[in-house]
Amino acid sequence: MRQRPLVAYGFLAPYLLVFAVFWLWPILNSFLLSFQNTRVNPWAWAPGANWGRLPMDPAFWNALRNTLIILVIQVPVMIVLATIMAVLLNSPLLRARGLFRFAFFVPVVVGEAAYSAIFRLMFNFDFGIVNKLLESVGLPAVPWFTNGTAAMALVIMAVTWRWAGYNAIIILAGLQSIPADVYEAATLDRVSRWRQFIFITVPLLRPILLFCVVLSIIGTMQLFTEPFLITTRGGPGGATETLGLFLYRQGFTVFNFGYASAVAYVMAAIAIVISLLNLWLGRERA
Amino acid sequence: MRFTMGCASLVLATALGATPVLAQSGEITVWSWDVAAAALSATVEGFNKQFPDVKVTVEDIGNAQVFDKTLAGCAAGGEGLPDVISVENGEAEIFWSRFPDCFADLKQLGYTDAIAAGFPDFKRTALEVNGAAYAMPWDSGPVTMYYRRDFYEKAGIDPATIKTWDDFIAAGKKLQEANPGVAMVNTDINSSDWFRMLANEQGCGYFSADAQSITISGPGCVTALETFKKIQDAGVAGQADWNQKFTANGAGTVATQMYGGWYEGFIRSSAPDSAGKWGVYDMPSATADGARAANLGGSALAIAATSDNKEAAWAYVNYTLGTVDGQVQMLKTSGLVPSLMAALDDPFVKEPHPFWGDQPIWVDILRTLPRIQPERGTPFFGDADAIFVATLNRYLNNEFPDAKAALDDAANQIAGATGLPIAN
Repeated sequence: MRQRPLVAYGFLAPYLLVFAVFWLWPILNSFLLSFQNTRVNPWAWAPGANWGRLPMDPAFWNALRNTLIILVIQVPVMIVLATIMAVLLNSPLLRARGLFRFAFFVPVVVGEAAYSAIFRLMFNFDFGIVNKLLESVGLPAVPWFTNGTAAMALVIMAVTWRWAGYNAIIILAGLQSIPADVYEAATLDRVSRWRQFIFITVPLLRPILLFCVVLSIIGTMQLFTEPFLITTRGGPGGATETLGLFLYRQGFTVFNFGYASAVAYVMAAIAIVISLLNLWLGRERA
Repeated sequence: MRFTMGCASLVLATALGATPVLAQSGEITVWSWDVAAAALSATVEGFNKQFPDVKVTVEDIGNAQVFDKTLAGCAAGGEGLPDVISVENGEAEIFWSRFPDCFADLKQLGYTDAIAAGFPDFKRTALEVNGAAYAMPWDSGPVTMYYRRDFYEKAGIDPATIKTWDDFIAAGKKLQEANPGVAMVNTDINSSDWFRMLANEQGCGYFSADAQSITISGPGCVTALETFKKIQDAGVAGQADWNQKFTANGAGTVATQMYGGWYEGFIRSSAPDSAGKWGVYDMPSATADGARAANLGGSALAIAATSDNKEAAWAYVNYTLGTVDGQVQMLKTSGLVPSLMAALDDPFVKEPHPFWGDQPIWVDILRTLPRIQPERGTPFFGDADAIFVATLNRYLNNEFPDAKAALDDAANQIAGATGLPIAN
């Protein structure tokens, strides 16, 4: 009997080794790095160099603000859209259900670089189809890449397009786990469809919705691809620079690994705090 | 086989006169981008006449990728790097200061002081640090105005009369009236290129020439920023990033582009249908007696310390950059302006070019070289550049009372990021 834990760890060893080398060690090492000045050769211990600079750096606050704006607008919009899509996909009236589910899920499968390139073309100021459509109904063309607000809207639209279907599929699974007899009973009691949705579907979906929200928040905190590829590395002039991009720029354009590590820890801390807050808000009420 | 090889080296030794050279062999790989990669490929033929046993592979992986992958490779102790790496001058010092062991010291490979003396100082300062030469100068980027003769003529504008930016703006308004749907010029508010050209013309840059202080809030830079806003506010600049400029050249929706000499090849490849309709003239200045000359960009070639075949790599670099044949070949193919001074006397430089309406453009572009003031990238270029672009956008949105206040703010931020003092 004594032997058992040892044997178990023996079997776990290959995974634990990989975990230690590629996860644990980088996590701990970057924590140490965040206390070092990495712009001198050799690197020196200087806790103030990065942690002291962070609260005073306007570019950091700008990136944090942009990230939070995207978070506050994009996540709720996407979850609402995803819920609506899931309910529609779950409708017994729907034909070719498999095709629709696939169609909504497919943006996640598309390569990031490919979809970014297509978005850049579609939103091109002179030749893009979006501006052509706007002009055809008498609206002015929008400078998507040179106006900060428009660029931000573009990032939010792109992220929503990419992830709404993915969340809809998760929510759909949740919808299907709600027993049909609950609805049957409600229908017999002449409860309207809308009230059924509000008072049965949404409460029973809460754990799933919460899961989607937490997942989306963590994803948005690390948002990188869209502002990097679609709005030209956080452009115009940092208007769409997210924390993920800011970290990348510090680490891999400026080569300031210590500062980048400090930023990474701040990002992780914010994501943890927001997620805990969510879990607390969504806790089961006795 | 033996015999031919020995023969080749003998011929070579005779050809080069004094120094006997060992015949190199093996394979080397080069990383570069776009037309610069095309230029490097074009010199291989001439190189192989002297070194037939070296197989050179030029990989065009894109400008940003060369930087990113080189960084990743250096951070991994030289893993996965090619033998020869293209490095932009402005970014060069980031590499040397962070990863001095990642690159071979060319002085150990045969880059003598005599060879180095063939290049101008403003190209060498960033490449030779702490007694080592990490890269050899490649091309430089004398700024010029590439313009469409037909659009200018239709509006009755003689480019010779455009001496100041005010002249340019006035001409732009006339031109846009006469050519509906055409922008006088393209600018990109998400890039510092225009500001750096305007500032360099005024003798100002992010950092001082000794790289010890921040000079972005100096009077020359203030003038440059004011000029940039004036051009924007006058409505003569269409917004276009790098790729959109490329498209606009071909679509005929832009009349002027301002860039370094290396853009010549890009104009030719982006607008083959409008051959013969293009020309060049000197950049305008803030005042009529201004320098009307600046430098933007320009690159160098470095050799990775982990290269298995440094001798062959050096032979290629030295042929491509250190001989008139190599440099002029790249000027012909891609319009890369030689930084090897001896190449400027080559007969090709004086030829008129049909694409450019039979203008001998290289005479006109290279004429500005002596008036160019040196500019220092420093290891902090990335910090300063991002801060400047953010400041530029806020300034264009009228978030600062004036250009001086905007640049003071930028200088403070750069000081916070780099720890360097602000020059008075």
